[in-house]
Amino acid sequence: MVAPPDNDVLWARALHYSPNGSPALQGVSLGVREGEILAVSGPRGSGKTSLLRCLSGRLVPTEGEVWFHSTALHTMDRLQREKLRRESFGWIGTQPALVAELTGWENAALPLLLRGTAHRAAKSAALDWLDRLDAGDCAHQRPHRLRQDQCQRIAVARALITLPPLLFADEPTAALHRADGNQVLRTLTAAARSHRITVLLATGDPDVAALADRAVHLVDGRRTGETPYPATTGAEGRDTCSLSV
Amino acid sequence: MLALRLARGAHPVVLARRLLVTAASAATGFLLLCALAYALVRPGGEAPAARLAWCLLPVAATVHLALAVARTDPGTRPRPGLSAIGLGPAKLALFAAATTALAALTGSLLALAVFLHLRGDLSGMPFDGAAAELTAAGRPLPLPAALTLLAVVPLAATATVALALRPRREPPATEKDPDAARPAPAEPPAGLPWGVTLVALGLAAETYAAGGAALPGGLGSGRGAVLAGWVIASVGLAVAGPGLTHLSGRLLQIGRPGAARLLAGRALMAEARRIGRPLGVAAAVAAVTLGGTVLFRQEAFRPFGDLTALGATLVVLCAVATLLTAAVESRQERAPTTGTLTDLGAPAALLRTTAALRAGVLLAVFLPLTWLVARLAALPLGS
Repeated sequence: MVAPPDNDVLWARALHYSPNGSPALQGVSLGVREGEILAVSGPRGSGKTSLLRCLSGRLVPTEGEVWFHSTALHTMDRLQREKLRRESFGWIGTQPALVAELTGWENAALPLLLRGTAHRAAKSAALDWLDRLDAGDCAHQRPHRLRQDQCQRIAVARALITLPPLLFADEPTAALHRADGNQVLRTLTAAARSHRITVLLATGDPDVAALADRAVHLVDGRRTGETPYPATTGAEGRDTCSLSV
Repeated sequence: MLALRLARGAHPVVLARRLLVTAASAATGFLLLCALAYALVRPGGEAPAARLAWCLLPVAATVHLALAVARTDPGTRPRPGLSAIGLGPAKLALFAAATTALAALTGSLLALAVFLHLRGDLSGMPFDGAAAELTAAGRPLPLPAALTLLAVVPLAATATVALALRPRREPPATEKDPDAARPAPAEPPAGLPWGVTLVALGLAAETYAAGGAALPGGLGSGRGAVLAGWVIASVGLAVAGPGLTHLSGRLLQIGRPGAARLLAGRALMAEARRIGRPLGVAAAVAAVTLGGTVLFRQEAFRPFGDLTALGATLVVLCAVATLLTAAVESRQERAPTTGTLTDLGAPAALLRTTAALRAGVLLAVFLPLTWLVARLAALPLGS
């Protein structure tokens, strides 16, 4: 086993994953630096979701290694990975996946409540985050009354509320219209930058990938290249955003 | 044919649930045939008709179970792929009805075979003609009557399933996408006041009539009125079930709840109808059974025949099986929520705690209440 480079938060080597024999990942290696926003881009079926799920410990790769700081995810058992997900990772999926019977703020506060935070503190943190994400008016509504983009904002708040060191966003704006999606994504990246949250952002859209610091490309489960985005264009308005969110 | 084909490929647990319906239908069919045999031996009078009327309870319990099983059947749930090729809710309701008919008919045929065997008509096996007296062995069995009685359960179950699962007519604009990720939760159930009223009314009528007075307005007197009050009180318990479940969910979240109490309480509120109805019925059956044991101890008042034990066991088992099936259905419905929680890293212990909390609060609410209603209902019966 090779020890991972020191400055990488997350590090993966030669990941192979083939559920039921169909190869989803074929030898992907990747390093994510602390505080960066890394886009994983590629068309549908290129293995983005599988890669993010392997890196976040929701799937165990058939072959290869995943390191988070100095812990090896690929050797952990289910309970340990669950604990790591609860304490260190955030996840935003394509669908908001909110709990239907909880209101907006309860959904956003769920990770805090799961950690045993007091009701009052969890509520004020959730309301705070919903306000920052322009979803303050959704706080007391159930998800079935809300628009898709409002639900997705709540999902973003739920992922950010614990200020996880590492946030996985799997095509978070794929189901939204362009304007809504852009706004959700900008608030997400701005919040991540101001809180030094490392983000792995899977996307099929080059414009979305351009919001990141760097993009790696996947095709058919293989890594085909990398695009660095210079700070001026890619991380547009980095400092101004960090002040506002 | 598609129903048969899908039934063949079903999971063993699903098949086991369908077998439960078959067994319940067989037992009910047997009870109906025994009522017919009783009428053959002692024609005329009110006793055979009363016996047949008592068979309504097992029939109702069987139909209730068949409906619960049809609701949980994975073959009859809307699936995105099947909906896309036109096998939508309307067709699936027919499919559910066909599956139910198949299970219930098998049960009826089984009942006929066992009945004929116990009469001694089908010979060559153990217990041949073992219950000759009960099954009117000496007399020819009127086939049309037997077949009519055997058709009752399959027809009732099929019709109920088809009616209950039929797609509701709604304006196209408000029609929901069967694949939609955000189903709207059901409105809170409104039956609690009605249920409480019925329980109070039933208990009052029973106590009043047991005192020897005729009910006001010529509503009857004596044993009949006592029984009517008893039935009304039990029905009230069943009607109050969903409302009580909803209330239990609300009670669970009093104060500033943490994750476990919040999730358990909200789940109960969301599942109030699905769990509450069979729970109310089970509570009613339990209350009647408790009251019935009091009644049974009295030598003077025994409206029951030889097959009471079979009938009572059947009703109780059906109520329990329906409740368990509803719990399975609720679990299936909650699978997305459970998935979301697991993805958030919720520990398995938390999921177990919420399940235990739900069961605990339901027991804490329903057990004392059932006991109280049963005791109050049994008071005038025992006097």
